[in-house]
Amino acid sequence: MGPSENAMEVRNLRKAFGVLRAIDGIDFDLKRGEFLTVFGPNGAGKTTLIKILSGLTQPSSGSAKVGGFDVAEGNPGMRKDIGVISHATALYADLTPLENLMFFARMHGLAQPEDQALKVIDEVGLTQRRNDRVRTFSRGMLQRLSIARAILHDPKILFLDEPFTGLDLHASNILREHLQRLHDRRRTILMTTHDISCGLEMCDKVALQVQGRFAFLENIGNVERDQFEAMYFDAVRDNQFIMETGAIG
Amino acid sequence: MNLYLNQIGAIIWKDFVTELKTRELLSSMFIFALLVILIFIFSINLSIVKASEVGPGILWVAFLFAGTIGLNRSFMLEKENGCLMGLMLVPADRTTIYFGKLISNFIFLSIMELFILPLFMVFFDIDLLSHLGPLLIVVFLGTLGFCALGTLLSSLSSNLKTREIMLPILLYPLLIPIVIGVVRMTGQLLDGIPLLDMMKWIGLTASFDIIYIGVSIMTIDHILEE
Ligand SMILES: Nc1ncnc2c1ncn2[C@@H]1O[C@H](COP(=O)(O)OP(=O)(O)OP(=O)(O)O)[C@@H](O)[C@H]1O
Ligand SMILES: [Mg+2]
Repeated sequence: MGPSENAMEVRNLRKAFGVLRAIDGIDFDLKRGEFLTVFGPNGAGKTTLIKILSGLTQPSSGSAKVGGFDVAEGNPGMRKDIGVISHATALYADLTPLENLMFFARMHGLAQPEDQALKVIDEVGLTQRRNDRVRTFSRGMLQRLSIARAILHDPKILFLDEPFTGLDLHASNILREHLQRLHDRRRTILMTTHDISCGLEMCDKVALQVQGRFAFLENIGNVERDQFEAMYFDAVRDNQFIMETGAIG
Repeated sequence: MNLYLNQIGAIIWKDFVTELKTRELLSSMFIFALLVILIFIFSINLSIVKASEVGPGILWVAFLFAGTIGLNRSFMLEKENGCLMGLMLVPADRTTIYFGKLISNFIFLSIMELFILPLFMVFFDIDLLSHLGPLLIVVFLGTLGFCALGTLLSSLSSNLKTREIMLPILLYPLLIPIVIGVVRMTGQLLDGIPLLDMMKWIGLTASFDIIYIGVSIMTIDHILEE
């Protein structure tokens, strides 16, 4: 990936589940090192977008390039460069944090699996619990560990699907600082969240996704927080109306 | 290549660590196989039928049923918490997931079978020891075919809500050639026929093993993607 090249290029992306159009024509570019926050009501297709961009689901039509790779091709080289935090923790419940991360480190082909695992466990503040079974963990501890899993291999591109869910104040500060550091190191980040201040704080670009489309996409410099907030609440309210009545927007 | 083997090794290592902690897979397979054999023992009058005639079929029924439990459980672990999604995100070829799961399933099934064989020998009063070498070859071929197809189909059915039912419904019909082969061979071994006289059956079973592994390598990409 050259320095000037886009980290993500998304063109007229669509994904349908039967008649439901979860992604209904999304276009955007994200330069290397940029941070995009995507807001949107429940069911807007944010998770589906991340799944397509990380190669977990095939798009129905349109194209997307991530780190120079076409996502539809399923190239393992692309997966080397990306890290994903999703709704599911993707952790083995009967293994300990250390075992889990060592496993994923080996799958990533890292040279020192154990050292690397211990390092990220320390970063998310779970060193004390590194040898306990993950099954016994609280929601926030699981979230911390799945953050550790996502940053284990120091990916160039990060997809974060509501990464602050379940984190206490301390952990979300850690995450915020960490994201800031990654941003400073020119990692490309796409994050979805429902938390306005958190989402607007760090990003370079803001999108509002409604019913599978980006209803709004701007550089952060051009975004007036109050206006954006009002627009976001309108979108959520309209979406609720549509979900309750089945009316087509 | 080194990374490829390392990734397969990591999957097997993970399955073993899990099993060492929970001991759920081996114990449930073993108890199930034992129960199948016991039920047959009580329902068959061994003074009328010859043990070496009914024994092989019963032995393989026990292996297959217990093995199915193992396959279901093994893929359930991957689905829990979206672990399979985590595996799909690592820069590994999808076939590493298949081979990793295939080998660990194969090892667990083989361990279960090694515990069941002596019990089978005692219950049916059959002398297995004098045919042990050839018998182990037959068990190897049968177990390999079962795991090759079973690993593929359990990843296919793991996305379905009716996973426990779908796996055997898909698996058993396709296994028929292998089952016929190994049951015949086991029976003939017990009758004292040397393995070299059963080249046809060996060929049949081994070719199906290879076919199923080949088909799996070709299709696993599409099957693992939702
Ligand atoms: N595998 C699937 N099969 C059928 N429909 C699906 C599937 N995955 C998602 N959908 C549908 O696609 C739409 C978008 O879902 P998605 O999870 O992407 O929304 P979201 O924006 O992440 O919502 P949330 O804020 O609640 O996380 C929803 O209507 C959902 O029901
Ligand atoms: Mg979501």
